[in-house]
Amino acid sequence: MLAVRDLTKTFPARHDNGAVRALRGVSFDIADGDFFALLGPSGCGKTTMLQSIAGLETPDSGEIAMGDTVVYASAGGINIPANRRQLGMVFQSYAIWPHMTVFDNVAFPLAHGERKTGKAEIAERVKRALDLVKLGAFADRLAPHLSGGQQQRVALARALVHEPRLLLLDEPLSNLDAKLRDTMRIELRQLVKSLGITTLFVTHDQVEAMGMSDKLALMRDGVIVQQGTPQDIYLRPESAFAADFMGRSNLVAGRVNGNGAMVDVETPIGTIRCPAAATDLNDGIVVIRPQAVRLHGPGIGGQNCYAGTVEQVSFLGDVVEGEVRVGAGLLKIVVDPYRQVAPGQTVTVELPPERCVLVPPDSGSLP
Amino acid sequence: MAATDRRPRRWRVDQQKITGIVLLAIVGVLVLGPLAVLLRASVAPPNTMPLETWAVTFSNFKAIFEHPATPTIIGNTLLYAAGSVGIGVAIATFIAWLTERTDMPGQALIRVMMFAWMAVPPLVIGFGWILLINPGNGALNVLARNLFGVQGALFTIYSFWSLILITALSVVPTAYVMIAGLLRNMDPQMESAARVLGGGRFAVARRITLPLLTPGLFSIGIYMVMAVVQAFDLPLIIGLTAKIPVMSTRVFLLSVPDNGIPNYSLSSAFGVVLLAIAVVLMWLYFRAIRTGEKFRTVTGRGFRPKPAVLGALRWPAFTAAMLYFAIMALPVLMLAWTSLFPFYRLPSLEALPLASLANFHRVLDSALVQRALVNTVLLVVLSASVVMLLSALVAWFSVRGGGLLGRVLDVMSFAPTAVPPVVMVMAILILYIKTPLYGTVWVLIIGHLTIYIAFGTRTMTSALIQIHKELGDAAMISGASWATSLRKVILPLVWPQVANGWLWVAAHSARDLTIPLVLMTTNNVVIASVVYTMWDFPDVPGAAAVSFLLVAALLVVVVPVQLLASRASTRG
Ligand SMILES: Nc1ncnc2c1ncn2[C@@H]1O[C@H](COP(=O)(O)OP(=O)(O)OP(=O)(O)O)[C@@H](O)[C@H]1O
Ligand SMILES: [Mg+2]
Repeated sequence: MLAVRDLTKTFPARHDNGAVRALRGVSFDIADGDFFALLGPSGCGKTTMLQSIAGLETPDSGEIAMGDTVVYASAGGINIPANRRQLGMVFQSYAIWPHMTVFDNVAFPLAHGERKTGKAEIAERVKRALDLVKLGAFADRLAPHLSGGQQQRVALARALVHEPRLLLLDEPLSNLDAKLRDTMRIELRQLVKSLGITTLFVTHDQVEAMGMSDKLALMRDGVIVQQGTPQDIYLRPESAFAADFMGRSNLVAGRVNGNGAMVDVETPIGTIRCPAAATDLNDGIVVIRPQAVRLHGPGIGGQNCYAGTVEQVSFLGDVVEGEVRVGAGLLKIVVDPYRQVAPGQTVTVELPPERCVLVPPDSGSLP
Repeated sequence: MAATDRRPRRWRVDQQKITGIVLLAIVGVLVLGPLAVLLRASVAPPNTMPLETWAVTFSNFKAIFEHPATPTIIGNTLLYAAGSVGIGVAIATFIAWLTERTDMPGQALIRVMMFAWMAVPPLVIGFGWILLINPGNGALNVLARNLFGVQGALFTIYSFWSLILITALSVVPTAYVMIAGLLRNMDPQMESAARVLGGGRFAVARRITLPLLTPGLFSIGIYMVMAVVQAFDLPLIIGLTAKIPVMSTRVFLLSVPDNGIPNYSLSSAFGVVLLAIAVVLMWLYFRAIRTGEKFRTVTGRGFRPKPAVLGALRWPAFTAAMLYFAIMALPVLMLAWTSLFPFYRLPSLEALPLASLANFHRVLDSALVQRALVNTVLLVVLSASVVMLLSALVAWFSVRGGGLLGRVLDVMSFAPTAVPPVVMVMAILILYIKTPLYGTVWVLIIGHLTIYIAFGTRTMTSALIQIHKELGDAAMISGASWATSLRKVILPLVWPQVANGWLWVAAHSARDLTIPLVLMTTNNVVIASVVYTMWDFPDVPGAAAVSFLLVAALLVVVVPVQLLASRASTRG
C-alpha cells in the first residue's frame, strides 16, 4: 500500500545550529491493511517521516508511492500536495479546531475536502463516524469543552470520515493519562483493523509499538536500523541499540572465539556459548533479556551456568527485579513474586544459549 | 472510492505560490519603490526632478554637514526626543504600576481611558494647547492675569519646554500600554522572595523591581525615542512658530516650502540622515530586546501577582492618575468651547448664552469638509482593510510558509518602521508626482499602506505564532485547499487580532497629518488636512469644530471596542 524509497531530508543550518540530517535514506513498505509502527527515540526523524508522507514537508530526494500512485518522486519532479493525497491523520496535539463544534470538525473533510459531498450525506456519514468512536451524543459540543480522550476520538473520527486510503497517527496516545492510554491502545487498534484501513503509527514508546502493530520499523538518527514483527525485533535484535530500545536487557561485551553455528564469547561473566551472528565478528555483545535468565540454587553445573551472588532485589508486585553479581559482571534478572530471593544469597545463573543473541559492538550514533 | 470522476483542478496546486509572488510584488513596490527613490534623490543635483536626470553628486550631503544650522537641528531633535520620552515614560511607568501592581481603585477605568486616548490625534491636542497657553490670549494665561494679576504670560506654548511637555503627555498612553504589559508578565515571586527575605517595600522596589524592569523599560524607551524622532505634527504646529526646527519639520519644509520651489534632492539627503538615525535607534532597540530576553521572567499560568497594598494612599493615587486625564482633557475641552462661538472667546459663564452650533452647521455645509469626509472614510476603511489583508498574508508566509520568500516578506514589511513617515511620504511624492495617482485619495492610501504594514505584520505574526501549526495542517490533510484552510480555520482563530489591528490602523490613518499634508491637493483633502488648513487660514472656530467632530468620531468607534475587550479579558 505504501512504499517509501531512499527518502532523505536535511534541514538547512540556522544561525545558531548546524544542518540536521533528519532522514538519511529511509526505505520501507506497508502491506495493505497492516498496522505499522515507526518507533524511535526523540529526534530520530519520525515526525519528519510522517510529515513527508502526508505532504506537509517536502523531502530532498527519494520516492513515496501509495498503491499505484506516486505522490512524491524527486526524479520525476512529482509532489502531490497534502490536500490531494486522500489521507487521514491524527496529530500529536489532536489539532481539533476550537471554534467549531464536534460535528463541524468531523464534517470538515467532507464539506471542504477534494470531493464535495451533499448535506444529507454529510450528516449521515458524520453520525456514523461519531458513533464509531462512541461520541454520537457530543455532536453539538464545542471542541474545547471535551476531555483529552474525547478530543482524541474526535480527531480519529475526523481522520476516518472521508475513508482515507492511509491513516497516519503521530503519537496519538502520548497526551493521555496512563490508564486511558492502556484502554485506547486496544480500542484504537481494533477500530482501524475492523475498518481495514492501512495505518502508519509513530511513537517513541516501545510498549505501545509492540502492543499495537503488525510490523514495526525501528529508527535511529534518520535511518531504519531494523524492521519486522514485534517478536522478531524483541527476540532477535540485530544491534545493541535495538536490544536496548525494545526493553530492559543485559548487554555483555566480549571476544568471540570459534566459528560455525555456535561460538564462544569471552566476557567478564565467563564464557558464554551462543548462536553466531550474521557476520563474522571478533568482538561482540551478547544480549540477554532479564526474562531469559534462569535462576537455580547454588552449586549447579552445566552449559552457560555460572555461580553468582544476589546483590539487590526490588519487589514491584507484578514482578521482582534483581541484580546478580557473576564473576566481574552484573546481570539484571526478573523472577516471579512467589519466589524467595534475598540479597547476599548465592545462586546459580543459567543463560540458555538459544536465548542469547550475539550482536556487533555498538558503533555509537551516526555522525 | 469514486475518485475517477474528479475534474483536475490544477490551478489549486499553485494557489499558494501565486499568492506569494503577487504579495512579494505588492510589498516590494510599496516599500522598496520609495526607498530606492529616496536614495536616488539624495544624490541628485540640487533643484532638479530627481527622476529626470542620471547625474550623481554628493553636494547635498556636503551642504547639510557644512550648514551652520545642522548641528542645532540634530541637537534639537535628540533633546526633544530624549526629554519628552524621559518624562512620558516616567509618568506612564507610575500609572502602569498603579493599575497593574497595586490595589488602587478604578484600575479598569484608567486602562480603558488610556486605550481610548491613543485615538486622540496629537494635532488636535496641540491646537488645544495653543488655545490654552499662547502668550497673547491663551485661556490659562488670561485666567492667571485676572486672578493673580500676573504680568505678561505665565506660560508660553512657543517654547522648547512646552513642546517637550506636550509631546511627553501625548506619548504616555502608548508607553503605558507597553509598560503595563511588561509589568503583567513579570514574575512576582521574585519580589515576594525579596520580601520574605526581609526587604522593606521601597527597598524591594528599588533593588529588585526596578533592576528587573530596566532592560524592558530601556527597550520601550528606545522605541518611543524612535517614534518621537519621527513625529511630525507637534513640531510642525508648535515648533515652527517657536523657531525650534527638528529634522522632521526640516525635511517637510524643504519638500513643501511655503514659498519657492521644493528642493527634493536636499530634503532627500536630510531624509537619508534621519533614516540613518532611525536605523541606529532600531539596532539599539533590538539589542535591548535581546538583553531583555536574558532577564525575562516567564510566569506560570493561573498565577495572580499579589497587589501592593496602598492603604490610605489608595485614593490619593487614584486622584494622581486622574489628574493626568484632567490635563489631557483640557485641550479637548478648550477646542469644544471654541467650536461653539463664531469668534474666539475666553471661557467664561457670561459667554455661555451666546454659544451655538452654528460652526458645526457651517463646516458640515462646506463643500471642502464634505469632500474631506468622503475621502477620509475611503482612506480609513481601505487603508485599514488592505493593510490587514496584506499583513495577514505576509505573516502567514513568514510564520508558516518558511523558506526565503517568508523571510524576505518579513524583512521588507518591517523595514518601514525605520523610515520616518515624513521621509517616506516625500519619497512617495517624488515617485508618484508624474503619475495620475498623484492628487487622488489613492496616493494617500498607498502612503498609509506603506507606513502601517509594519504594525499590521507584527500584530498578525504574533497572532499566528500562537496558532498551533497542526491546526492548519489538519485542514490540508482533510483535503481543503490552502485558501479554504485560511478562510475556514486560520482566519476565524485570529479574528480578534485582525479586528484589533484594523481598528488601530483605522484610528491612526484618521488622525495622521503627515501623509495628507505633504500629498495635499484640492481633491484629496481629508479631515486631518482640513483641520490644519482651516487653522492656518485662520478659521480657528471652524478648525475647532472639525477637530471636535474627528475626536468624537474616533472615540465613538474605539471606546466601545475597548470596553468589550476589557470585559472579555477580565472574564477570560
Ligand atoms: N523545521 C525544522 N527545522 C530544523 N530542524 C528540524 C525541523 N524539524 C525537525 N528538525 C530536526 O530534525 C530532527 C528530527 O526531527 P523529528 O521532529 O522528525 O523528530 P521525532 O523523531 O519526531 O522526535 P520526537 O519523538 O521528539 O517528536 C530533529 O533533530 C529536529 O531537531
Ligand atoms: Mg515527533
